[in-house]
Amino acid sequence: MKDELADLIKSKPESGKGELGLPIAIMGAGSVGTQLAQTVASNGHNTNLVEINPDLVESVQRELEANMDAEIKRWGMTEGEKRAILARIAVVTDLEAAAQSQFVLEAIPESLEAKQQLYLDLHEICPPETIFVTNTSILSLTEISSKLPRERQKNMIGLHFLRPVPDIPLVEIVRAVRTSDDTFEKVKEFAESLGKTPVEVFEYPGYITTRIILPFLNEAMCVLMEGVASAEDIDTAMKLGFNLPHGPLAMADQYGLDQVLTRLDVMFHELGDLKYRPCPTLKKMVRAGRLGVKTGRGFFDYRNNSEVEQ
Amino acid sequence: MKILVINSGSSSIKYQVFEAGNAVPLAKGLVERIGLRGSLLKQELDDGRKMSLSGEIIDHQQAIEYILAILTDEQRGVLDSRDDIKAVGHRVVHGGESYISSVLVNDEVLYDLHKHADMAPLHNPNNLKGIEACRSLIPNAPNVAVFDTAFHHTMPGYAYIYGLPYTMYKRHGIRRYGFHGLSHRYVSERFQELTSTKDGPQRLITIHLGNGCSAAAILDGKSIDTSMGFTPVEGLLMGTRSGDIDPAIILRIMGREELSRREAISLLNKHSGLLGISGVSSDMREVLEEIEGGNKQARLAVEVFTYRIKKYIGSYAAALGGVDGIVFTGGIGENAPEIRAMSLEGLDYLGLKLDTKLNQQPDGERLITTKDSTAEAWVIPTNEEWIIAQDTHQLAGDTIPDA
Repeated sequence: MKDELADLIKSKPESGKGELGLPIAIMGAGSVGTQLAQTVASNGHNTNLVEINPDLVESVQRELEANMDAEIKRWGMTEGEKRAILARIAVVTDLEAAAQSQFVLEAIPESLEAKQQLYLDLHEICPPETIFVTNTSILSLTEISSKLPRERQKNMIGLHFLRPVPDIPLVEIVRAVRTSDDTFEKVKEFAESLGKTPVEVFEYPGYITTRIILPFLNEAMCVLMEGVASAEDIDTAMKLGFNLPHGPLAMADQYGLDQVLTRLDVMFHELGDLKYRPCPTLKKMVRAGRLGVKTGRGFFDYRNNSEVEQ
Repeated sequence: MKILVINSGSSSIKYQVFEAGNAVPLAKGLVERIGLRGSLLKQELDDGRKMSLSGEIIDHQQAIEYILAILTDEQRGVLDSRDDIKAVGHRVVHGGESYISSVLVNDEVLYDLHKHADMAPLHNPNNLKGIEACRSLIPNAPNVAVFDTAFHHTMPGYAYIYGLPYTMYKRHGIRRYGFHGLSHRYVSERFQELTSTKDGPQRLITIHLGNGCSAAAILDGKSIDTSMGFTPVEGLLMGTRSGDIDPAIILRIMGREELSRREAISLLNKHSGLLGISGVSSDMREVLEEIEGGNKQARLAVEVFTYRIKKYIGSYAAALGGVDGIVFTGGIGENAPEIRAMSLEGLDYLGLKLDTKLNQQPDGERLITTKDSTAEAWVIPTNEEWIIAQDTHQLAGDTIPDA
């Protein structure tokens, strides 16, 4: 499209950095990546969502729309807001999109090697001031950035968003050993621009949220295994007793039991503390492929979308 | 003395240029889709010329740079240079309790407004962006903030205090503030000018029906009550806002539908009102068309809409001790004769008899009640920008040596 406005002024206005700075790049268009893109775009940032596999671009676009359609159904969003958000998100296949961003948010699968390689690639193409933000909840930030030059490691930081990203008002800002104060302050401001309340955590397995919730979920599974109470009663007791919106077993089903198990394993190995030892029932269910909501069955049955004990 | 009037929203800016003392603007325009792909600047001049330019506008500051560029453009503009603008007036939605009239913006005021921006999170931050952009781009022109809440500051305590623990008022400022103040003020001033012959107290009810809708009870030019409250959700039914509901309903719905706070706010503000009841549209024209086609839900939506207006007229007549005049304004109030007719139906006992012929007249300021009515109902097109320009002229005029 011809820029008729630009012709109005001989040189384009200087201010054109955008109210909220340069566009934000998001690496990886999995479920966290797409939710993150929606959150970032809905707060006024132009967003480049990078999915390197061109075959997936269409399905990413569909998922973005499906997520927002679900929100519209729950009265959380309007068609107009959805269109405005989509107008701010470009799904691209080229890593180069990261080079024009102030922040690169990475949300690719939790593999140390894959993340290390991605950051080496990003380091090549991004200017030295670009801030790299990882969304890992279990890997060591310092280890992920260990292949990068020291100078760059200062710009490396973690933002741990919880799912569903648009709804959870919290984010953990994770400082690695070499993260600079300047990087921390910039990312804190960015997190606040997303309407999130940030908490500062120093790199340590599980940070605050993952570390405290895992033994809670695990213990609920042990209570079930030991025959103390039914799944339904365990959840009812914890919900009503402590004013929680969901019980621990429903929460585990929601997260995905395989995800809960992986994280417990990491904590158990990393810290060697028995309190993180995965409950045998959890292992059994994961082996049986009952992973929770996503497979239709976990501690509860979701096949008819009703929470009935299995 | 030329005055620029700015009304900035989240992704749009409306603007007008006035010559002080003349209510017809030299130019008016609108910038749309700021920060989105495909921004647009539309402008109309007082000689009838219209223009529309597309391109990319990243932020409010850039939008105002383009506005200044087109206003000073040789062919398309109305100004020789930016320096012709002697003052800028800005609409600011929420002035809280501290701003009971318009104010010249200095660093202190700006700081204070930033501090209170959360009173109207959807509007105030954008209003402030407009002020900041003008301060940096036209540094010699003073900026004036004109508040939507200010006109209602004359409400007595018994009209603005809610039946909640008084601590809520002291601690969180929970009270009725009211909105649409510029519009209610403009039409009440015009009504006074149009009907100035009558002696005794003047008891006026102004009804602004646009995207948002509100009514105000105005005694001798002073607002004594208004239908919008702590937020613009209260009162009349609106395009997508619920207006008055039992507050316990929202708690019930949140529990039953497991809605988050954000979803509940969105439900009340964006999925309710005409749209929510009719299931068709938030646009009154479309809802009225649906009724033609026999849509019962659409009819119900309009019945709720007009019944609510009638109820407010009744309660404000009681508050005012009678009524001398009613003014309809805003997009719906000015352009939908059937809505005015339904709202005034059966109000003969207040001395209001609709003249169906006059009510159908399309344009301008017009009386719509019969000659033998003891009270008068009028349609008066609103002009909020003119109020901003006047206040700006008055406040900034003294600061300019050769104005």
